[in-house]
Amino acid sequence: MPPAEIWVDGLVQSCIYMTMAFGMVLVFSILGILNWTHGQFYMLGAFVVYYAITAAGIPFPISLLISGVVVGGLGALVEKFIIERLTAPGYGMLYVTAATLALIFFFEGAAGMVFGLQDKGLAMVLPGVLNLSSFSISYQKIAVVIFTLVIMIAMYIVLNFTKVGLAIRAAAQEPDAASLYGISVGRVSVIVMGIGCALAAMAGSIMAPVYIVNPFIGRIPMIFSLLAIIIGGLGSLTGAIVGGIILGLLNSVIAYYVSYLSEFVLFLLVIVILLVRPQGLFGASIK
Amino acid sequence: MKKWYNVVAILMATFIVLGVFAIGCAEPAPPQPTGPITINIGTPVPLSGPAANWGKVPTPFYEAFIEVFNKEGFQVDGQTYNLKLIQVDDKNTPEGGAAAAKQLIFGDGCKFLVGHWSWNFPSVSAVTNPAKVILIARNGNEAVPASWGGLYDPETMPYVVFGHPSQEEYLGDALAIVKAIPDYKVLGILDSTQGKGAGWDNVDNTLDADGVKYHHEWYTPGTADWAPYITRFAEAGCGVVFTAGDISSTMIFAKQRWEMGYKDMRVGHSGPILDPAMYVAVCGRDAAQGLIGSYYAPWDFKEIEVNPKYIDMCQEAMSMVSEEQGKPYVYTGGIGWLPTQALILAQALEKAGTVDDPDAIMEAIRGGTFDTPIGKYTMSGAKTYGSPIVFGNPNAISQIQGDKEVYISESPWQPIP
Repeated sequence: MPPAEIWVDGLVQSCIYMTMAFGMVLVFSILGILNWTHGQFYMLGAFVVYYAITAAGIPFPISLLISGVVVGGLGALVEKFIIERLTAPGYGMLYVTAATLALIFFFEGAAGMVFGLQDKGLAMVLPGVLNLSSFSISYQKIAVVIFTLVIMIAMYIVLNFTKVGLAIRAAAQEPDAASLYGISVGRVSVIVMGIGCALAAMAGSIMAPVYIVNPFIGRIPMIFSLLAIIIGGLGSLTGAIVGGIILGLLNSVIAYYVSYLSEFVLFLLVIVILLVRPQGLFGASIK
Repeated sequence: MKKWYNVVAILMATFIVLGVFAIGCAEPAPPQPTGPITINIGTPVPLSGPAANWGKVPTPFYEAFIEVFNKEGFQVDGQTYNLKLIQVDDKNTPEGGAAAAKQLIFGDGCKFLVGHWSWNFPSVSAVTNPAKVILIARNGNEAVPASWGGLYDPETMPYVVFGHPSQEEYLGDALAIVKAIPDYKVLGILDSTQGKGAGWDNVDNTLDADGVKYHHEWYTPGTADWAPYITRFAEAGCGVVFTAGDISSTMIFAKQRWEMGYKDMRVGHSGPILDPAMYVAVCGRDAAQGLIGSYYAPWDFKEIEVNPKYIDMCQEAMSMVSEEQGKPYVYTGGIGWLPTQALILAQALEKAGTVDDPDAIMEAIRGGTFDTPIGKYTMSGAKTYGSPIVFGNPNAISQIQGDKEVYISESPWQPIP
């Protein structure tokens, strides 16, 4: 049995993957696309919070919100001016995929030019550790867990008890019927893209003090959140959460036992899941 | 008689006229060079992507050092020469390395490639060797002889020189750590799977032979969650963990081990400390204390004597960069690369008496002794043509103390015989 610190570490990983995966699934359920730039919104969120704290002296919790709003707005612009045009008749998914893949390098290059390539850190935010009997956990990691819980509760309320949430769910389930009831699916798409990107940005923001900030930090979280979605089931919000938890815990536990072979084992596991249950744990069955 | 006078006068006049005409028509003699001749030296180096810092951080220092060096230049056959540094982004990839080497040699007219850093030695040497361009690079896992499992073949790569012994440096740094921290218990070694290979097996074997107790772990590039590895190192009883991975990984590792309560576990990385302030910002001040890195400030060396002239040159170049950047330039890691290798090249050209004959220059390099800012060493390979041609290294290490980097130990490496 791995020691407690491995489980705690896995829980922190889970929080990131589920937040990222939740945003990706939300976008997929409305727009029908996988946003390959999701990891770069994570990275941009980390930069926004870094400069909000170090350059403007804004407190960390407010910086998190600013990061969500700024990057969410950027995501909405990407949807409006790029994705919407490429999903118009005459184009296809390949165009959107190519565009979002191209945006990976665009955002990384732009971030490198604007913010520089040197690693940046926010270790001064929430410093210190909580000493438990057999191990320690940093306040930064505790903040990650609390923040994720708050985000998930907030998303539950937004999706279930607000008009916007109702419109999103309606557009996700029956876009044509939703249009007939006066819901602008185009507007909902922009809102959903904004929310999805804001979630990625806030995941990057909350992890900025835990890890480092540089233009390339979004690549691995993106891949892992994609794995979480596959495990949980593409299109299922519950699946994104469960997939994120499973992936985070598995990643830590497997790495504890087999170190560098952990990713090999994880990807093998994903292949097995796809073979046995292609729709994932919570996805609708594929016919 | 008068007739003869007339004939002689006419002939003389004719000669004078023809002579003046010939002088007038003759092409002017080519002007003799009055100043130094500039030799272009090229470096394929990462200037973009995640490894860009390795290229970008030392670049201003390299340029300043070349400027300082060129005040005197070097002499070959009575002619003064200067160096001009041209860098091309190799993106830290094999394709990028080959493309950069082609650009430097065939586009920019570089006669030598010096100071090459990246993990793409085979692709760069595949361009330089057929062009008979001498490449002074570092060795590494892929750049050890085929007999060790690497890709270096002296028969097909006769113009390759290993001016920076990365392979030996890693081992030397590990020995310097053991020397500085005798109660290390077990030395943890953490390396990316990119570095997995025969070269590192050789390092492990050497540590075994030296009686160093160690525990080796490998990780896949991109790993950011170190808790499983930290736990394994702690369970193995490691008092020090020395990483051969990138700086970002080391900083996060150091931070996480501190947060997990393993405050006595020292952490270090191969390669120089970039800027102590960055480590403090990422790890936190307490977690960054005692973090170990390679050290190349020759003014602090205790076991290797360095020519004071080169110390002055390095310090002058660092002052120039500090002035230009408006803040202290503290990165000394560059001293062990381009300045050292540029001096090896310049001295080899002086010894060979030519800048154009690569075979004669290689003859001067093999087994030659060169005086550089990191010490005076003799290249291996003098008698045993076919062995790797490797320069020495002080293998000094430093640690972060407060906001500064301070020397702690060194374990000078003897070149391979």
